[in-house]
Amino acid sequence: MNQTDSNSAAVNEIDASCRVPLLALFGGAALWLVLGVALGIAAALSFHAPDMFANCPGLTYGHAQAAANDLLLYGFAIPAALGVVLWIFARLSRAPLALPMVPLAGANLWHLGVLLGTLGILLGHSTGYPWLEYPRPAAVLLFAAFLLVAISAAATLGFRADRELYPSHWFLFSALLWFAWTYSTANLFLLSGHPPRGVAQAVIAWWFANNNLFVGLALFGIGIAFYFLPKFAGRPLAGSGYTLFAFLTLILFGAWCGIPQSAPVPAWLPATSAFAALLSFIPVLALSIVAWKTLFGSGFRLGGGPAGFILFGVLSFAASAFLYLAEACPRYSRGVDFTWFGFGVTQWQLLGFIGMILVGAIYEILPRTMAKPLPAPALARLSFYLFAIGILLYVIPLLIGGVEQGLKLRDFHVPFAAASAAALLFLRVSTTGQLLVLLGSLCLLLNVLIMTIQWKLGLLKTVIAAIKAPLVTGEVKS
Amino acid sequence: MNDESKSTRPAPDQEPQVTRSTAPMWIIVATLALLFFGGLYLDSHSGWFNDRVYAPYDSAEKLEAFQPKSGAGAAAQGKRIYEAVCGICHGNDGAGKPGQAPPLAGSEWVLAKGVNRLAHIPLEGVSGTLTVEGKEWNLNMAAMGAALSDADLAAVLAYVRTSWGNQAGEVSADDVKKVRDAIGGHPQAVTGDQLKSIPE
Amino acid sequence: MKTGFSVFLVAFVALGASWFGLVYAPLHQLGIEKQTAILQSGDTWPPQRTGDATLGLDVYREYGCAACHTRQVRQTGVANQLELISLGQHQAADFKDFLKSLMVVPELNSFSNTLCGPLAQWDGRLPVTLYFGPDDTVIAALVEKLKPLGIKTDARVVATGADISRGWGLRQSVAADYLYDQPVELGSLRAGPDLTAIGAREPDLNWQLQHLYAPRSVVADSSMPAFRFLFEVRPISGRPAPEALTLKAEFAPPAGMEVVPTPEARRLAVYLLSLKTGAPLYEAPYTPATAAK
Repeated sequence: MNQTDSNSAAVNEIDASCRVPLLALFGGAALWLVLGVALGIAAALSFHAPDMFANCPGLTYGHAQAAANDLLLYGFAIPAALGVVLWIFARLSRAPLALPMVPLAGANLWHLGVLLGTLGILLGHSTGYPWLEYPRPAAVLLFAAFLLVAISAAATLGFRADRELYPSHWFLFSALLWFAWTYSTANLFLLSGHPPRGVAQAVIAWWFANNNLFVGLALFGIGIAFYFLPKFAGRPLAGSGYTLFAFLTLILFGAWCGIPQSAPVPAWLPATSAFAALLSFIPVLALSIVAWKTLFGSGFRLGGGPAGFILFGVLSFAASAFLYLAEACPRYSRGVDFTWFGFGVTQWQLLGFIGMILVGAIYEILPRTMAKPLPAPALARLSFYLFAIGILLYVIPLLIGGVEQGLKLRDFHVPFAAASAAALLFLRVSTTGQLLVLLGSLCLLLNVLIMTIQWKLGLLKTVIAAIKAPLVTGEVKS
Repeated sequence: MNDESKSTRPAPDQEPQVTRSTAPMWIIVATLALLFFGGLYLDSHSGWFNDRVYAPYDSAEKLEAFQPKSGAGAAAQGKRIYEAVCGICHGNDGAGKPGQAPPLAGSEWVLAKGVNRLAHIPLEGVSGTLTVEGKEWNLNMAAMGAALSDADLAAVLAYVRTSWGNQAGEVSADDVKKVRDAIGGHPQAVTGDQLKSIPE
Repeated sequence: MKTGFSVFLVAFVALGASWFGLVYAPLHQLGIEKQTAILQSGDTWPPQRTGDATLGLDVYREYGCAACHTRQVRQTGVANQLELISLGQHQAADFKDFLKSLMVVPELNSFSNTLCGPLAQWDGRLPVTLYFGPDDTVIAALVEKLKPLGIKTDARVVATGADISRGWGLRQSVAADYLYDQPVELGSLRAGPDLTAIGAREPDLNWQLQHLYAPRSVVADSSMPAFRFLFEVRPISGRPAPEALTLKAEFAPPAGMEVVPTPEARRLAVYLLSLKTGAPLYEAPYTPATAAK
């Protein structure tokens, strides 16, 4: 209650204006996060007990893993990021959220789309393209919902009193354009009645995956992190020049990465991606320098609060982006191609980077918009440790196991089964990490759920009080 | 969450600020250096956007150099192309047809030691009189081999030189390429006398 | 940047450039229908699939097989190989000395290790590889010297790489291989082996079906999940059905029951059988094997 009391009325009004759409976005996101991690565990079980789902076509590995991946990206990461974007834009504009019912409708449409898409995958209607597995109806719903939320965000941005843009504005506004363009293009080409023939489909799918998992999530995550880091550090963000340079190089070079070096496409495509990946080290370095300069010497403490989540996320960004770009080096890619390494890097980006930043942001924002403290702060603090340790336990064995597997795959004297078995021990450790992450996400869901119930009960009380109120006799002018 | 140290929180109403600065020189220099080296890499590994050059071939020339040049497959290829293109007039048995085309079996033009003169015939065509195995032929032949690739025409000529009792030497794609380059851009049908003056 | 419009413009240009280079250009270069000629043959590539195999590709997509299997072969290099096929009237011992005498030829003397080293232990059996490396001037020089002596050699172009050494293919996968695939699923993880040429490695339909029903019955240390839902376990009525699977004792159904593949399982197996080794193409050359070999 402390912070909302000491806030000015204007800030409280801004926070309250975001209440309903954000609850819809965050509530669904928290639920999908739990479901996504649970499906990921079900998928991993296929490696520990291969005959477990022998009679259950829905949970076979191909279905469970695809559904889990999409739930993490479309179910959790993007709606939660959109909610944070709406709140940040409203706060930076010092104006209440514009058109608050529009993103509410968008949130509901979005979650409906995710539900349809997930069911579609589990029932066998996956499209077959990685990260684009949702069948066409679900994809259309997602795109329409995104547009609704983006309209409100753009309007809020337009109503700002202070016309100067803060760095987070650049990153987050571009992120909106990024998802809208890439998602619509990829689905229009690949899910239409006449998709392009042959390997051009794979090129489009790689372009989409890179521009969402690397550039898109980086734009969302860094934009959000650069809003919160100065607040937690108690001093301004270090260096507009650095940040601008990093932003420009990220969107210019980062967008060209993504074509794997071993792709069955003419040599100029992987060569271009390798070139772009080399140059993309610069924005990663620059963004890390800005974060470090902002935090170093500021008395910033890790703790178990939202600040810890954001810092963990920024560190994960540096690490996962470095590994992602290193995969594009032709020599290294021969060692880690087609192994668990690439999968581990993606999960680090999704859970470690954007996931942690979003969870921290939710813990920070939701009490403010609901004008109530978190119902279970101890659980929230516990969830930081569960997430942090769980993610590291999940991702790092995958990376090491992938390298082991890759080394054995390169040596053709080693039989294939030995190469696969080399990764199995690491998979077992990483599944325990997944279990910890599941527990952490349950803590988040519990907090969000209780706040939702409290709010609904509050609404109910208001309605009942209005019904029970004595009638006000009006003055009848006869 | 609410008992975070107050020192890490700014006044709640304050939105974050950013300090004004310019990007440092070293990062711009580093970017330019990476652009340069990356450009070198693109130059040597991109195959210059050719749609048939795949890694590990670095360029179209390298890819051409590694095309398999001979082998039993080439002989079959030579036969197939001959029967599709040449056999209509010269006959699948190489015996020729009176009034249409001279024979190739036992022809001195085919059996010459070198391939240079022979290659001119399909690459440029023939007009006017030509003596083959003692008989005179006065016909016109189009440049039937001009549209074939070097390797394909070499396969056809090799097939002709080793079939129907002919026993002459091999023909390589390079031989054909040399003749093609010597002819240049405007091939004109050769006459029998011109052919005689071309070295074997 | 001061205005929202300038941010939008910058982002538009950046993403537009990437769209142009990685979506538009590849669409025009790769997305148009084109069959390629197979080297030294009159056929084109790729071959059309049968109806069952095309339906099987849809089953492959439906169950997400691409989550664990890749369908692309990599190649890290290419080499010229010269094999000695017949010595004519010469003896093996004379030949070794003769090779040593060739080392004065300029094109050959820098390859003395490659040429003479392994041949020191050669027991005279044919065929034997004389040279295996990237340089083709060596081969030309050698053939020029050996041909007049009546020694028969065979020069081949060979693709090299870990995948090829494992027997997963004879050349790398190129765009032409995926012309008739809808959707194109290259795969990104090799939890299971590469499937580009699985139809050439395991050409038996029954093996494929047994592998789908009980992977560990045909590959002892496989970690592939069993796809029993693709099969029907039913009581034997009268005589056993001809398409019933024969399984090892521990995987077989209880007595009086038989395992029969559903149409889905059959189509998937037919699709897997249709995946054969890639033919040599201009963009991925190798000397094709001849029937005589």
